[in-house]
Amino acid sequence: MTEIARERSLGYHRLGRWLGHLLDGERVFGYTLVAPAVLYILLLVGYPFAIALWFTVSDATVSQPIGPFTGLTNLQFVLNDDIFRRALLNTFVFTISSQILQMVLGTILAFLLLRPFRGKRIIRALVMFPFTIPVAIGAMAWTWMFNPTYSVINHLAADLGLISSPGAGPNWLGEENYAMISIIVVNVWRNLPFSAIILTAGISSVPQEIIEAASLDGASFLTRWRKIMVPIIAPILYIALLFSLVFTFTDMTVVWLLTKGNPVNATHVLASYAFVTGIISGGLGRGATISLFLFPVLLIGALVMLRTLKSRSLD
Amino acid sequence: MTATIAPVRRTVHSRAFRLRRLRSSILFWVTLGLFLLFAVFPVYWMFITAFKQVNDLYNLSNNPLFFNLAPTLDQVRYLFEQTRYLTWVLNTAEVGLIVVTITVLICVPAAYALARTRFPGSGSLGIGIFLTYLVPPTLLFLPLSQLVVGLGLIDTRWALALVYPTFTIPFCTWLLMGFFKGVPREITEAARVDGCSRLGAMFRIVLPISIPGILTVVIFSFTLAMQEFVYALTFVSSSDEKTVTLGVVTDLVRGDVFFWGSLMAGALIVSIPVAIVYNFFMDTFVRGITGGALK
Repeated sequence: MTEIARERSLGYHRLGRWLGHLLDGERVFGYTLVAPAVLYILLLVGYPFAIALWFTVSDATVSQPIGPFTGLTNLQFVLNDDIFRRALLNTFVFTISSQILQMVLGTILAFLLLRPFRGKRIIRALVMFPFTIPVAIGAMAWTWMFNPTYSVINHLAADLGLISSPGAGPNWLGEENYAMISIIVVNVWRNLPFSAIILTAGISSVPQEIIEAASLDGASFLTRWRKIMVPIIAPILYIALLFSLVFTFTDMTVVWLLTKGNPVNATHVLASYAFVTGIISGGLGRGATISLFLFPVLLIGALVMLRTLKSRSLD
Repeated sequence: MTATIAPVRRTVHSRAFRLRRLRSSILFWVTLGLFLLFAVFPVYWMFITAFKQVNDLYNLSNNPLFFNLAPTLDQVRYLFEQTRYLTWVLNTAEVGLIVVTITVLICVPAAYALARTRFPGSGSLGIGIFLTYLVPPTLLFLPLSQLVVGLGLIDTRWALALVYPTFTIPFCTWLLMGFFKGVPREITEAARVDGCSRLGAMFRIVLPISIPGILTVVIFSFTLAMQEFVYALTFVSSSDEKTVTLGVVTDLVRGDVFFWGSLMAGALIVSIPVAIVYNFFMDTFVRGITGGALK
């Protein structure tokens, strides 16, 4: 009995040593340690993405998630849908105008924050606030500021004599154009600190000697900015732009909390309309088809990012 | 702008120079002031709304910017006593802790392997994991909602605990890779020569040095889970299962006249800790996002 037990424990011991030895190989070690991460991502990102693709070509609904194959019917339906077209247009309008404003204002803010001044730490922290609080919460604060009756913006405008009374001001979230502007403003408010902080990090990484040399040679501020700083910080600019592009393009939080796509579906973006179609109305197939229009932008984003990362690692 | 670069000289300046400097300084403070106003005003407005008396808040003839009547804690009390705020906070803590645990258990080994060993495909795997951070919830929420239904987790906070690691893992792996790469190779090589296994070198040498990095990951995954909105809105509709961000912005919105105060109070209580933590970790966050494109 004891013989066998000892034999067996010796066997386990050998097995353990063998496993330990196997794990000590660089390849096995590497793959074993990465495997859980890859598995998690495959199961909860890759697999759902495949289901999403299947949804787009089938008549899937919440009550019948595995619907019959319907080919391009969903796509046709979606393309002929006026709300969808409006949402597609809105998505581009929101993303592009927010990006431009963010980049321009972000650059100005970055240069302001690069100057030494008293109380810089606290001011930097305050300016960063919109980015550091949860998006949904920030959007809610703005919804309250845009409230049709109690809008503090209109109230202040009336106090300053810009409008005759608070009630005479725009109904920010109730009128199409004002609602669009409001959404853009909230987006910029939220993401401006992010652009600024990344630009600050980028600009301060540019060697001072180069800039001083250029300014001694008589290069103006704009020339120094365009010809020296931008090329040097280009990789980081790319990545920052890409992130904020992708996140703005695919976000629905701000739109959802501000307008829910209203008035009369005029302010939907792709994401919020996909949510309404897929989750609220239960049309998984159509909803997924709308979502899929987000993918080309993601793909381009990913490819640009890949190129930037590759070129960096070659340096 | 030239002032950023101009070295400090201890010379007596001409009047024109001083005037120019004064002008640029005024311009600087005015511009910065405008940015500050834009950034902070909504937060100030949240704050004042949360502590105003109802009669003050909804009286249109009062100046909205100040307390016209004495400030009150009524709204905060209402939030804690009459709403499920505490439940949401506890739910958030539960979800956050599970997400942190999953993230750390998966990210630490993955980042270690990607940063410190070479095997075929390791570079592409690293970039691949990073790129999944770009995949937005709004692309996956429909299929994931069905997956969550299939697992019987729909309308529970566990659905969120399961799904949130899909964005914390990519981000945190990338962040940790940076930390692990920073540990000099010589240290682990020396240990290897002394007969330490790869796993031993990781646990006994690199991980103890990288504790700040792991802590950063803990904090980021917790706050990312706390802030998330889209998946929460999609998967959870019962009030008892909501996380705090979702609960505050969906459950406190009613036709009731009295809700803005407690809503803003709830919003403030969530925001302040997150904002403070993020401020400390802002530079790390930027480093994580830019994937070490900067040194």
